[in-house]
Amino acid sequence: MRTPHLAIAAALVVAATLSGRSLSAHHSFAAEFDSNKPVTLSGSVTKVEWGNPHIWVYLDVKDDQGSLQHWQCEGGAPNTLTRNGWSKESLKVDGQITIDGFLAKDGSKTCNMRTVKLPDGRNVFAGTSGDGAPPLKK
Amino acid sequence: MHTPFVASRLSALAMAAALTVPAAAQQDYRPPTGPAPRTASGKVDFSGVWQKPYVPDLTRESQEFKGVADLPFTPWGAAEWKKYDAAEGDYTGACLPFGMTRSINTPEPMQIMQSDGYLAFLFEQNSWFTVVPIDGRPHRSGIPTWFGDSVGRWEGDTLVIDTVNFNGRTRLDTVGHPHSDQLHLVQRFSRPDRGHIAHEMIIEDPKTFTKPWKTTRTLTLRTDWEMMEYSCEENNKSLWEGRIKVPKYKDH
Repeated sequence: MRTPHLAIAAALVVAATLSGRSLSAHHSFAAEFDSNKPVTLSGSVTKVEWGNPHIWVYLDVKDDQGSLQHWQCEGGAPNTLTRNGWSKESLKVDGQITIDGFLAKDGSKTCNMRTVKLPDGRNVFAGTSGDGAPPLKK
Repeated sequence: MHTPFVASRLSALAMAAALTVPAAAQQDYRPPTGPAPRTASGKVDFSGVWQKPYVPDLTRESQEFKGVADLPFTPWGAAEWKKYDAAEGDYTGACLPFGMTRSINTPEPMQIMQSDGYLAFLFEQNSWFTVVPIDGRPHRSGIPTWFGDSVGRWEGDTLVIDTVNFNGRTRLDTVGHPHSDQLHLVQRFSRPDRGHIAHEMIIEDPKTFTKPWKTTRTLTLRTDWEMMEYSCEENNKSLWEGRIKVPKYKDH
């Protein structure tokens, strides 16, 4: 059985505190993603799409059999990221990252990114410095 | 269990990560102080690029927003709220017009441009705009629309924007609180100082709510921001790949 490399425990904590709300006002998180299905993906960036309404990061993830799985993960709105100093160049293609997020409801290899972490622990596309998680307002 | 990475490759990538850590400019911003500016004709001038608090849920408070925790639903309104499921149709996810309240609720900025005759709201969200005559004229009649028909009048230094004739296809906020085509929205804008707008919004909709209710929020002037284009349509993968559906509206 092919399964991606999953780390559930930490992601469950994230899920409980974030209550599945996306910072994006563009659409309802609940329309597309499942807040009961957190996921952690570690792999190699193959593409970054920097456009509205959301940025997309494409990731090749090795499963337990060593096969590559192709994932796509939705991020924040590019205008807000740009105002916070990020750009399309903030993530190198072929760089290794770890994404914590939530799975799409449709069962595809699609996630909504909550944190994007480099191997040295720094967070990319973070809403607040050093924190990693988007600044959700209650 | 083997790891997907080779250790040496990992450290090389970490060094070559070339991550430009953004400056903390956003956290250092302070709005200008002083009294509210006025136009040549002596009216408070609301022009500027404004930062809005993100309000995905009108029942939940934040530092800059105060809502109403328990909405006074009619039976119809309560039923509409209970049955809402964004997975069956998400109009903003499909890039349909946000409408007035959701445009005010988004984290994206809005620019206000004011003349003696008009107030233009330029919403960065989806690059939508709405132009409001503020000379005290009555509502126009016409087909119902996504943003409704707005007219404005002055009450002293407060600008009151009154909106009716909504098409009923929008929702009040991201989580989906409903409204009907009987929505009568009143927004009261005042500018207590140069750096802030005090915004009050009154929602009156006898089909959905048993009585009017009110929210308040603070908008902050951003002298360091310019409006950016926002094309909702340019890469809406979620819609194209079927994870978001266009709602099916009943014929009006």
